[in-house]
Amino acid sequence: MLDLIVSKYNYWIYITLMMIGFYAMIGKRNLIKKVIGMNIFQTAIILFFVSTASKKWATLPIIEHAHGHEEHAIQVASYINPLPHVLMLTAIVVMVSTLGVALAILIVIYKKYHTLEEDEILRFHK
Amino acid sequence: MRFLALITVIITGMILIYGTVDMPDWGDPNSPASLHVSPRYIEKTMEETATPNMVTSVLADYRGYDTLGETTVIFTAGLSCALILRVRKRRKKRS
Repeated sequence: MLDLIVSKYNYWIYITLMMIGFYAMIGKRNLIKKVIGMNIFQTAIILFFVSTASKKWATLPIIEHAHGHEEHAIQVASYINPLPHVLMLTAIVVMVSTLGVALAILIVIYKKYHTLEEDEILRFHK
Repeated sequence: MRFLALITVIITGMILIYGTVDMPDWGDPNSPASLHVSPRYIEKTMEETATPNMVTSVLADYRGYDTLGETTVIFTAGLSCALILRVRKRRKKRS
């Protein structure tokens, strides 16, 4: 049991964080809180992917003593997996874009309704 | 309503935690993600791109078109923010 906890606790932390974001998305009424909950959700996914890249006893994905020592063989096990880092750079770009556009739309909604509470906006339309 | 949301969140979290039992351990060098594709990039990056930083070489060389699309995403987001938030000029009243 302790073995399971030690080897899997990183996933559990990300799941907790993701569920906090998910609760904010479906349980809160304020639209800003919903958007920030979506951001927390995406951050949890990014942390999850970056953690799948790690290898024990490996260093950053930058080749040491690279130029001038080309004859050295490269040990694959001594560098962590670079691909999740690259893909999460792309995901961060998408995250920032969606957050910016969503907050801009919220500003327009606030200008029109003078509130950001979902139920008050719905009452406005009855 | 709030209670229903809490129940949904807890059930989803339990299902996800149950799913992690089959995931590879943290820092396992023999996890499937580190065995299949990434050794090729680690071995060939100096030979093919002469860049020691693997993240840079994958981002700007192997996946260069993807990065171009990314800049398009950022440009579109910035443009749509500007279009959403623009202040329309009031028309001058004709005297």
